[in-house]
Amino acid sequence: MKQINIDPRTKLAIVALLSTLGLIYKNLLSLVIILSVAILIALALNSNFISVVSRLKKLLGLILIIAIIQSIFIKEGNSVISLGSLSLLTDIGIMKAAEFILRLMIIIVSSVILTTSTSREIIQALIQMGLPYEIAFMVSISIRFLPLFKDEMRDMVVALQLRGIDLKKIKLKEKLLTYKYLLLPITANSILRARELATAMEMKAFRAYPKRTSYRMLKMNKIDYLIITISLIGAWTFIIIF
Amino acid sequence: MDNLIEIKNMKYQYHKDKKLFEKFSLQLDCKKTTVITGNNGSGKTTLSKLIMGILKPLEGDIILFGDNSKNMTLSEIGQGIGYVFQYPERQLFTTSVIDELTFAQLLKGEKKEAVMEKAEEMIELFALEKARNVYPFFLSYGEKKRLAIASALMSSPKYLILDEPTASLDKDKIINLSMILNKLEEKNVGKLIITHDKNFIKEHGERVIYLDGGRIVKDEAN
Repeated sequence: MKQINIDPRTKLAIVALLSTLGLIYKNLLSLVIILSVAILIALALNSNFISVVSRLKKLLGLILIIAIIQSIFIKEGNSVISLGSLSLLTDIGIMKAAEFILRLMIIIVSSVILTTSTSREIIQALIQMGLPYEIAFMVSISIRFLPLFKDEMRDMVVALQLRGIDLKKIKLKEKLLTYKYLLLPITANSILRARELATAMEMKAFRAYPKRTSYRMLKMNKIDYLIITISLIGAWTFIIIF
Repeated sequence: MDNLIEIKNMKYQYHKDKKLFEKFSLQLDCKKTTVITGNNGSGKTTLSKLIMGILKPLEGDIILFGDNSKNMTLSEIGQGIGYVFQYPERQLFTTSVIDELTFAQLLKGEKKEAVMEKAEEMIELFALEKARNVYPFFLSYGEKKRLAIASALMSSPKYLILDEPTASLDKDKIINLSMILNKLEEKNVGKLIITHDKNFIKEHGERVIYLDGGRIVKDEAN
């Protein structure tokens, strides 16, 4: 599929529209339509949709558990599964669970759209939209450091196992202790790293001047304005129909 | 067999276009000290991680004391081989030196008295008496390194792999580390040392292997 190059601000606008619609609407058909549109846009923008979804498989279990727990506590509607006189699952509960899953999927797919731009581009877009540079910089740092934390966590789990501790075999109480052992150095390392980063930023005269200029400026093209207009009209039409 | 680490026709690469180990074979005698040296990117640390099961070979086998590493968990490998990472921060977990030395053994259900006795022995051996109750993150780099080695030795491994043990250590600390490693020789614990330090190679390398681009270019007895 030919890649469409659009400005990150256009993508942010699309994502804002999709996720807002996803949060406003409650009926399943509307949510399915919004999700389908989000998937189509993600594919049209040549995003690595399949790889992101396959990575999310690990979260599928958690999402399902939350959905089931949520549906169990909804007592409205006709009982589908009951234990004596106690209704465990109702048809409305199931509908609500499906609603939750669809809503979450819309947000996830919307975020996939943003992955077609680099984190630097997104930050630049936010700055040009008026977000203070300091806050945008904080966002960029948190995005940049996430993979580092992931690597660090993986290395520490390996190091722990190499001490002869089999995480699969130990008892729950001891397993909880091992999480403490893992979280402690990771938190300490993060604080140390943040301190080093702050010093390095001071050395580079961060915030020395009240106004910053950017080497690279984003520019909206005709296609961007066209896409934003179509998105707004589409969202408005959707609101009128549903 | 029980004293050997055998690498047979191993293949490993990080990227398709950057080959590293291809049909790589090596035998290590676990009673002896072998030093692996070579330029950056020659595959020294990768080889040690492959032996430890942290990385998995794409082809071939790694036999550790008669068992294929494919069938072993990281914890099983860690029981037999102690591993000291290049950066010790990533293998220190607790809030004091004494806890760091004992927690893994206690978690495994070993008797507290015996574990404490061994920990005290390690504290003395590695000159960590003053740091006994210090949070490991506040130790100097050299102390962290010594603590990491001491912790690896707590499970009485048959073999010890040290990745750049002399990095960031001053002359006195290197002498101290050399003395400790010599004591391990007396205890019949063999070692695989990855280093660039020529003096250290001369002092400890009973066998010295030079790696370049994942190939052994020289393998000599010292």
